[in-house]
Parts: sequence; structure tokens; C-alpha cells
Amino acid sequence: MRLFSGQRAFVVQRLSALVLLAFLGGGALRLAFGPPASLDQWQGWVAQPLGAAAVLLFALAVLAHAWVGIRDVVLDYIHPLPLRLTVLGLSAIGLALLAAWTTLVLVSHAL
Amino acid sequence: MQRAQRPVFLSLARIRFPVGAVASIGHRISGVLLVLSLPFAVLALERSLQAESAMVVVSGWVRLPAALLGWACAHHLFAGIRHLLMDAGIGSSLGAGRASAYAALIAGAAVGLAALVL
Amino acid sequence: MRFRIYRLDPETQARPSWREYDVRLEATDRKVLDALERIRTTLDDSLAYRRSCREGVCGSDAMNINGRNALACITPLEGLGEPVTLAPLPGFPVIRDLIVDMTQFFAHYHEIRPYLITDEPPPERERLQTPEERAKLDGLYECILCACCSGFCPSYWWNPDKFIGPAGLLQAERFIVDSRDRATAERLAFLDDVYKLYRCRTIMNCTEVCPKGLSPSRAIEHIKLQQLRRST
Repeated sequence: MRLFSGQRAFVVQRLSALVLLAFLGGGALRLAFGPPASLDQWQGWVAQPLGAAAVLLFALAVLAHAWVGIRDVVLDYIHPLPLRLTVLGLSAIGLALLAAWTTLVLVSHAL
Repeated sequence: MQRAQRPVFLSLARIRFPVGAVASIGHRISGVLLVLSLPFAVLALERSLQAESAMVVVSGWVRLPAALLGWACAHHLFAGIRHLLMDAGIGSSLGAGRASAYAALIAGAAVGLAALVL
Repeated sequence: MRFRIYRLDPETQARPSWREYDVRLEATDRKVLDALERIRTTLDDSLAYRRSCREGVCGSDAMNINGRNALACITPLEGLGEPVTLAPLPGFPVIRDLIVDMTQFFAHYHEIRPYLITDEPPPERERLQTPEERAKLDGLYECILCACCSGFCPSYWWNPDKFIGPAGLLQAERFIVDSRDRATAERLAFLDDVYKLYRCRTIMNCTEVCPKGLSPSRAIEHIKLQQLRRST
């Protein structure tokens, strides 16, 4: 079944990792070579649509990456089906809630 | 004895793991730690965007979990970069794999230690 | 020389135990297999282990020696920390003492269809390959299916029934890159599932212990790359 292809998860994991690396690299460069960063600057940047979108993208990449990681751990160690479904389900819900919370935080700050 | 009842030798304590395996289990453990700390990360994001935010002072007993998280971030990052490079074909030979595993372990430990003392 | 050997006799024991031996070796006893023979013939003739070629090409005597998988017949005794600890291949069902059940392992080998698949009629002599095409099989065809790698792979330990394991995957790669084979797409598609190939975390334990110096981790990397190429 194409839906559960192992390759898809692998690509999501690697792709999200590259996205995260890009952000971390960019952030490191900004902190190292840009003007000294202040909390006001950070808040100002996130208030703009571009900044908010960037942080959201970072957060979504983290959550996608975390999902594949958790799924791998569960598939390796948890074999009984009911327990497996429970843990995967709770993890999915937990990550989805974190995504919703992050969106809320960013949107309410931008407004 | 039926096949299903045959025991299996898996005393992990009696198995001598290569450095790559140590880096790998560290990668997994650090990943799980990071996922567990995600709610705190979002909380930190929220706090950082609030009108009156004071600087967070990391002192006292908070230093230990903070250092642990520091190690987790660093090790997961370095081991992750090692994996991405191997995907691209860089460092996938045995010697290179061992060397990069040592590098990731040492770099991660260094960051964790630094977070503890600074 | 002192040895600590994993013993299990399912007909008389319920659980495995460790037995210590202090064996007097002859000057000609240079490898772990020689020591095993010496123990069996002079101290304890109930000790059971597989062995055949005694020169590292049949793969029968793969076992865990001082914590690492290796072939007993080519592992030198010199330099081994005492007591030398001998255990069966980790993760494999133990039939008796150091003898493990290889059924699952060989089933995975069969699964990946380790033979040339082609509809083309056989040529008069050989199916030709250029030296470059033949070179692609180097590092893959030499596998002796000893199971040192799969027996050292944590992913194989946790899912021995669903993950094919480094040995099976190395052999899969051997046929994927064989220019004479015509089923490459099917072979790659077969491996594209959650368990068969993608339980591999590139821990590289396999490459660390291969007695023939092969690199299943690199073979697996290459399979993943080819799958990526095919899907983009």
C-alpha cells in the first residue's frame, strides 16, 4: 500500500531534517554576524507575516520529524497491536495539539 | 522443544557494541528526550512573545535538566548531520563511520558539559 | 586458557547457563574453533556447535565471541580477553548450546529472490557483462550467509520476522545491481515497505562484524538511493 510506504516516512524525516538545518544555520549566522539580537527585535520579527510563517514552518518541520522518529521507536519496540495503536494515536494527537498551540501563539502575537 | 519456545541470547550487557551503535542509541534517546520537551519549547516560544518577558535565569536545580536538553539537542543534531552525510555517500565506509560517530559523541558531550558549567 | 560458554540442553534444562572451562591448549591450537574442539574432546563432549570448512568460507561457526559476532575458525585466540566468552548469535532462537535456528534468516534470503530473473532466452554461451558491470558485484557476491551481521543488528533483534536484515538486503542489492537481471523495478518495489528495508537505522553494526569485510550498511544505503531515484 503506497500510503504506508517506508520510503515516504524516510523522505519526510530527511527533508524535515534539512529544513531544520537550514533554519538553525540561518539563525546561527544571524546571531553570529548580525547586530546584537534583542527580545524586542525577536518579537517584532515574529509579528510580521514572514517571520511568523518562518517560525510556523520550523515548528511544522519539527513535528513532522518528531512523528517519524516516534513512529520508528514504536514500530521497533511495541509489538502488541492495541498498545501500539494507543501509543501512536496519543502521539499523533499530542503532536497535532502542539501544532495547533504553536499556530495560536503565532497568530495571536501577529494580531 | 517447539520452535516458539526456544530462548534467545540477548544479554545486552554481554555484547560489546561498536562506537556507531553507541552514537545511534544516543541519537534515539536524545530524540525521545527532545520530543518530551516539545511542550516546554512551545511554552518558551509563548513566553518569549509576551509583552513583558524577563530573561530566563537558569540556575540551581534547573541546570541539570537544562544541560541534559543541551546534550540532547547537540547530539541529535550532530548524529543527524552524520546520517545525512552518509545518505549522500560521505563517510559511509567503516573507518569514516567510526570516526564520525566519535566526533558526534564527543561534540554532543562537550555541549552538554558546557551547558552544565556555564 | 579459560572459557565461559553458553550452554543450553533443551531436553534437560529449562533455562540456559554459563559453564566455565579451563582448557590446556596445544601449540597448534590457534583459533577459537581449535579451542572448542579441544574442550569438546578433552573436557566436555556434550558441547555442541556447528563447524565445517574451518577456513572462514562456509559460515557455519558464526557465534558471539567476547561480545562481538565472528567466525570461530578464523578468530585468533591470541589477544582474546579471558575468560573467553562464547555465546550463540544474538537474537536467533537457540537450538542447543551454540547452535541457532537459521530458518527465519534463510526465509528472508529466499524472500528477496536470490536468482537472476529474466525472460530473455539463454544465449549460446554466457550472458555477457563488461568488466565495469561485473565490478558492481564486488563486495556483494562474497557473502557467505554466516549471519554475523544480522545477528548483530539491533533492528533485526527487535523485528526478526519482518525486517529482512543486513544479509538479506546485501543479497537483494547484489541482484539489483546485476546487469543481467531484468526485475530491478520489482525488486525495489518489493522492498518499499515499513519493515522490510526501512527498519535500518544505519547503526552500522553489520559492517563492523562482517568476517568477509563486506559493508551491508553501504549496500542498504545504495538501495534507498535507487528507490529515491525511481520515485522522482
